[in-house]
Amino acid sequence: MSSEELAALGAALGATVTEERKSTVISVPPSKVVEACRGVSSLPGLYHLSTITGVDLGDDIALLYHFWRERRFVQVRTTVPKAAPRLQSISGVLPAAVLYEAEIQDLLGVGFEGNPYAGKKLLLPDSYPPDAPPPLRREADPEKIRRIMELE
Amino acid sequence: MRYSPEGMMPFGPVHPSLKEPEYFKLILEGEKIVQVIPRIGYVHRGIERAAQERTWTKNIYLFERICGICSFHHSLSYTEGVESLYPFEVPARAKYIRVVVAELERIHSHLLWLGLVGHWAGFDTLFMWIWKDREHVLDLEEEITGNRVHKSYSAFGGVRKDLPDGIAQKVRAELGYIRKRAEYYRGLVQSEETLSVRTKGVGRISQDTARRLSPVGPLLRCTGIGRDVRAEDPYAAYDEVIPNVQTSTGGDIASLLVLRIDEVLDSCRMVEEALEKMPAGPFKASFPRVAPAGESTYHVEAPRGELFYFVKSGGGSTPERVKVRTPTMANLLTATEMLRGHTLADVPVVLTGMDPCFGCMDRVAVVDVDRAKEWSVSGEELRSYGIEYYRGRRS
Repeated sequence: MSSEELAALGAALGATVTEERKSTVISVPPSKVVEACRGVSSLPGLYHLSTITGVDLGDDIALLYHFWRERRFVQVRTTVPKAAPRLQSISGVLPAAVLYEAEIQDLLGVGFEGNPYAGKKLLLPDSYPPDAPPPLRREADPEKIRRIMELE
Repeated sequence: MRYSPEGMMPFGPVHPSLKEPEYFKLILEGEKIVQVIPRIGYVHRGIERAAQERTWTKNIYLFERICGICSFHHSLSYTEGVESLYPFEVPARAKYIRVVVAELERIHSHLLWLGLVGHWAGFDTLFMWIWKDREHVLDLEEEITGNRVHKSYSAFGGVRKDLPDGIAQKVRAELGYIRKRAEYYRGLVQSEETLSVRTKGVGRISQDTARRLSPVGPLLRCTGIGRDVRAEDPYAAYDEVIPNVQTSTGGDIASLLVLRIDEVLDSCRMVEEALEKMPAGPFKASFPRVAPAGESTYHVEAPRGELFYFVKSGGGSTPERVKVRTPTMANLLTATEMLRGHTLADVPVVLTGMDPCFGCMDRVAVVDVDRAKEWSVSGEELRSYGIEYYRGRRS
């Protein structure tokens, strides 16, 4: 993996680029995610988006976009505040992201503007209580949600 | 188009005795499929959330239960992902044993799939022959790991027990039989009329589509893109036991059939090579029960393609976050593309062709654009319909 081309991409985006165990991490603000993903995926061999991971950090939600080439991953990383978890969808640039974003929308309540599943459900049952927190958030209590859904 | 996706989900919770349910809303113009909208989650069990409340070791057995076909690959990806957080090395012998079990699992998974395609295409003899042959592989797995399906064989630092005495000879004998059968099936699937009619030119995908939608595994390789995690980013002992990455340029179900049989043959070779090269020594190192803090991004090549695990440890007794992306999730969008332009009769074979973790057709809602009408059909009805449709076309 040529780290120069990633360093150059990071510099063009004004992002910090760090090397971790198996990943090169490009940290960007939410407004630059689409641009960063377009940049990474247009590098030779990096078209494959493995998936997007959402991590609940407490006050924020981290979104990690994993691209893979040879023995390294390239990770575009951003955080959105839990109070207003919205950002632009990358599905216009990378259609492969449609279902990954829809999954995060269901499980962590992050809104992706421009995703065809915006406002719809992919994984959760239609009967999932609208006032309950998304199930993968730390504040979600599985027992409580189960009671609301009258499964017990 | 007189169609609104809202409020048209005509069924409730899925019965657990059915095969794995996934829901595809098919938009039709007469016989032709113009759009496919997937809706999944009917068997979503919240395993990622459950993992956050279980210890590191207990999670090995939890993740194994995500899939009953490639269970070892789930535990392998999780254990190797977590092991990469430790500053210790896994013994070489354990890495070779992992290759043996993983490749045996690939053989049985591919055989299972091949049988299912036979079933959905209306060639049940093939289904029964292949599933009988697959038993030989499951017996080997039971002898090595103690279990046929959920092997519970992985452990941090290696595997749970060493190979039994004299297993190498037995494996060689059984693989000789599997190889003979696979070669026979390779000729059969290319010459048998039932399969040719149902699979040639069906579910075709181009390289461009594959690059756009990021499918994984055989679905990607059948378009001529030779990506395989085992070769490109070796784990376990795959840097010593190197796979010959199989590709095909057909891009349709017929080429997937041949490709997967070629992979079975290659896996037979790899199991034998791993047994031959396997060093003596310990099969397990002692790893502390709590993983050090850090993040790990890991993937392995499961039978269906790249299986991705992200693990975040805060240094506590349970993981802070584990993300799993299964190959079927990555292939789902490509499958919807494969269906577009085909007829309703092709649905069972194309959806099985992507090798979802089982035939996903138990419930398919059909919307006819011309008649603005919606109805549901079961998988079995759709299978019979496909067979009748092609019978009519041939006579």
